[in-house]
Amino acid sequence: MKFSLNFLKEFFDTRISPQRIAHILTMGGLEIESIEQVGDDYIFTAEVTSNRYDWLSIFGIAYELAGLSGKKLKFNLPKIIRTPHLKGVRINIEDKKDCMVYIARLIKNVEIKTSPIWLKERVKNCGINTVNNVVDITNYCMLKWGNPLHAFDFDKIEGDIYIRRAKKGESFVGLDDKEYVLTEDNLVISDDKKVIALAGVMGAKSTEVDFTTKNILLEAAIFSPLRIRRSRRSVGLDTESSYRFERNVSDRLLEVASYEALRLISQICNGINAGYKKTGRNRPSFSKTISFDLSQLNRHIGEAFSSFKVERILTNFGFKVKIKNKKEFSVVPPFFRLDVRLKEDVFEEVARGWGYNRIKEELPPVKPQKTKDELYSFKQKLRSFLANLGLNEIVTYSLTSDNKLSVLGEKSFIGLDNPLRVQENALRTTLLLGMVECIQHNINQKNDNLKFFEIANIYRKDNNAIVEQPFLGCIVDEESGGFYYLKGVAQKILEFLNIKDFIFLEAKEECFLNTLRIVTKEKCIGTLGVLDRETLQKVNVKSKVSFFELDINMAYKFKKEFKYSPFSRYPVIYRDVSLGIKKDVKFMEIENIIRGCVKEFLHHYRILDIYRSKDLSEEFLAVTLRVFYQAKDRTLTSCEVDDLHFKLREKLAHREGVVLR
Amino acid sequence: MHEDIKSIEREFAEEIEKVSSLQEIEKLRIKYLGRKSVINQLFSKIPHLSKEEKASFGRNLNILKQKITECIDSKVSLFRDKEEKIDVTFPAEGIYFGRKHILTSVSEEICNIFEKIGFVVVEGKEIEDEWHNFTALNIPLEHPSREAFDTFYLKLPQDDKGKYLLRSHTSPSQIRVMENTSLPLAVISPGRVYRPDKVDASHSFMFFQIEGFCVDKCISFSHLKGVLLYFAKSFFGDDVSLRFRPHFFPFTEPSAEVDISCMICKGKGCSVCSRKGWLEILGCGMIHPKVLKHCGINPNKYSGFAFGMGVDRIAMLKYGINDIRLFYENDTRFLRQFYEV
Repeated sequence: MKFSLNFLKEFFDTRISPQRIAHILTMGGLEIESIEQVGDDYIFTAEVTSNRYDWLSIFGIAYELAGLSGKKLKFNLPKIIRTPHLKGVRINIEDKKDCMVYIARLIKNVEIKTSPIWLKERVKNCGINTVNNVVDITNYCMLKWGNPLHAFDFDKIEGDIYIRRAKKGESFVGLDDKEYVLTEDNLVISDDKKVIALAGVMGAKSTEVDFTTKNILLEAAIFSPLRIRRSRRSVGLDTESSYRFERNVSDRLLEVASYEALRLISQICNGINAGYKKTGRNRPSFSKTISFDLSQLNRHIGEAFSSFKVERILTNFGFKVKIKNKKEFSVVPPFFRLDVRLKEDVFEEVARGWGYNRIKEELPPVKPQKTKDELYSFKQKLRSFLANLGLNEIVTYSLTSDNKLSVLGEKSFIGLDNPLRVQENALRTTLLLGMVECIQHNINQKNDNLKFFEIANIYRKDNNAIVEQPFLGCIVDEESGGFYYLKGVAQKILEFLNIKDFIFLEAKEECFLNTLRIVTKEKCIGTLGVLDRETLQKVNVKSKVSFFELDINMAYKFKKEFKYSPFSRYPVIYRDVSLGIKKDVKFMEIENIIRGCVKEFLHHYRILDIYRSKDLSEEFLAVTLRVFYQAKDRTLTSCEVDDLHFKLREKLAHREGVVLR
Repeated sequence: MHEDIKSIEREFAEEIEKVSSLQEIEKLRIKYLGRKSVINQLFSKIPHLSKEEKASFGRNLNILKQKITECIDSKVSLFRDKEEKIDVTFPAEGIYFGRKHILTSVSEEICNIFEKIGFVVVEGKEIEDEWHNFTALNIPLEHPSREAFDTFYLKLPQDDKGKYLLRSHTSPSQIRVMENTSLPLAVISPGRVYRPDKVDASHSFMFFQIEGFCVDKCISFSHLKGVLLYFAKSFFGDDVSLRFRPHFFPFTEPSAEVDISCMICKGKGCSVCSRKGWLEILGCGMIHPKVLKHCGINPNKYSGFAFGMGVDRIAMLKYGINDIRLFYENDTRFLRQFYEV
């Protein structure tokens, strides 16, 4: 919204500098974004908040500026002339909810010319093109009072006036020479034959006031803000007029604007007042008395205002103020302030008038809280843990496409009613898709060390319930470690959770090859695997990737507190064993033999060396293991260890498909 | 006899000059200090000498032995040092560590600041209904933000709380907590929010917000100012100042927008702050009495403040990030620029 200093001075003749005015208004809530000097005038560009329709008029801004600079604006509203009665034209309002009031004035014998310089400047400096004297006057009155007006060429109107919804497919050519196809969402003004205006948005070309116009019909109305918004959105228009109607206009100033336009048209265009007609009724006035106690105000703001101070601030903003017992306030807001209804609204006025920045800063006495989100701090710790482990956290979109979800065989996902694009038309049921995209992006960019994790929600329908659940996802490409790296991460996470009684269970999961489930207490808390080639192709990834997903709720449920357990200080002795393992023997079986055979003397074992032949027909895998022996209560002798190790070798050799090397 | 000492000394001096390895020094040690060395042989002659000679010869021989020992020792440590000397200008070993995403770090850091003054973190839900996202927050049915241009609605059957949607701000957390928890409250609630904005350098259909609120008897606007000033100084540094501008939000009254003095130009005006010297960082206000009522709280007894800020915007301001898409692209060259801020 643009307004100019000279226009403002029609109401409030101030010597305050333009920069100071901008500051005062900004700190009062009307943010001035820029000031520009044009001739002897200054043009302000302001951002008007949606509650203050009164700031969409010079009158309202002048009132505000006066109030904020400690003065009360003095003004007189003109006495409205409502005669003679307009005959011969009927005004039919189809629905009073769409249009509450419609005032028509007939002005005859106007001389259409270009406007006088002062009028041109007023309109131009507020960002509106000048057209001719009549149109400029209607715009001038709109700018001044906030009520949009429209002038029709009366002789081009055929029959009566109707304010009605458009018929589906009805079309209309606007003043911008463009044709608009309308729907029932649009409110129009029409005559017996045609649409003569898109109500509150734009007039029609067919009834435009031009240099041949003799008689005009001047429209002033109140339309439903919501209707105007829907209507102008459906045709993609946004005009000075719709901007104001959408945010509301004053009933009382409607007559003022209409009358002042008549007066100016008579003066400047030599028009003759030929009739007035009002249809509809003003909305009930909201200006009711609001009562409050000074202590309530001071408690809400945290200051110690005197009743005198409060009275002065409110009076300057146009409030009628009565005070009983020096602290009981009854105030009535000015007629143009429909936004002030509650005592808290009045408190804001006082705070604004005093200045938000003059209110002191204090820390509240915060009491111990009865609630705490344990899961939040758990996730926070898990994030730190994974970062320390060497993975980078990523943040990917929660939205994905239903197509991609279908590729993964997902059926219970939640779709969006109004997606922006098909690529993001559903909520993800797994973190996989976003994370895979991230891997692919980094591969394309030739970045390395691609080990990522994300902790975020997944969403799905579960019968009638809506599930929104936090998950951890980890993803890694083959170069950066692949499956076995992720298995290590999973193991470390279990250590972090202090879950000891878990197993990795081989499983078959859709879209995955080589899958493991992490199972504890018979519940699966996570899965890891390598994406199969078909899926990789479908999600457009060219490298082999491994993925691990952990159910955060489950992990949180099963995690255990850490507790000290004593450890043996007796020496650890190791022996190596080299095996040839046939490809169809699972390593798990070797491990089971080791555990079953060495039992309590097993400290741990590790793989020293694996030789996988490049030749796929090679049947055996060569593995060297180092087994560490220890007793809890004494030093094992070399003989004992040899004995244990010999038995272990025997056991291993007895397993079919295993040979000692 | 004394001549022998001198010639040994000379000979040793010549030989020690020539050694070039630890092995050669060892050979010298054996030659001069070993059991069968010349010096030892001379020592064995001492008992046969006269009393006077014994004293002076013995002393000189000891001095010689000590000299040689010292000389050899220092030569040994010289060679040892040389052997252990490495080229310290060689490149370091590659050490890889992971990092939290910058949005997470910033969000956690902000929450931590509020936790220090007694706030607790409670996360809300991302799938919300019209009641919690709008109605309870005093956003009327005809409000523009409720339209499909500004909110993602979900394909889910509507229930008595209205249509399901993706929350367009973190404010519904306020309602959820106030509905379910007894007073007094001091809560901070971070999370993802969604709006149907076309993606560009400053817009994203998904971004992060943090909501904070405090409800108790006698909570005032000056408490709001105090808490936010404490936050700004903790997060941006002690030299920043705040500016509260009246604003409008349906869920607060009075409402304010808060600007921080531009940390680039220190308030003088630069391109980052569009020459204003101030940067908008958050919206806040005293919780609207209707909002309290909707949560079953008597606004005549209790009052509260609430504020909401965009994590993306704050991270962009603090680290000079000029494109919001960088956060969601997850390029390692971006991710690896920040560490636990």
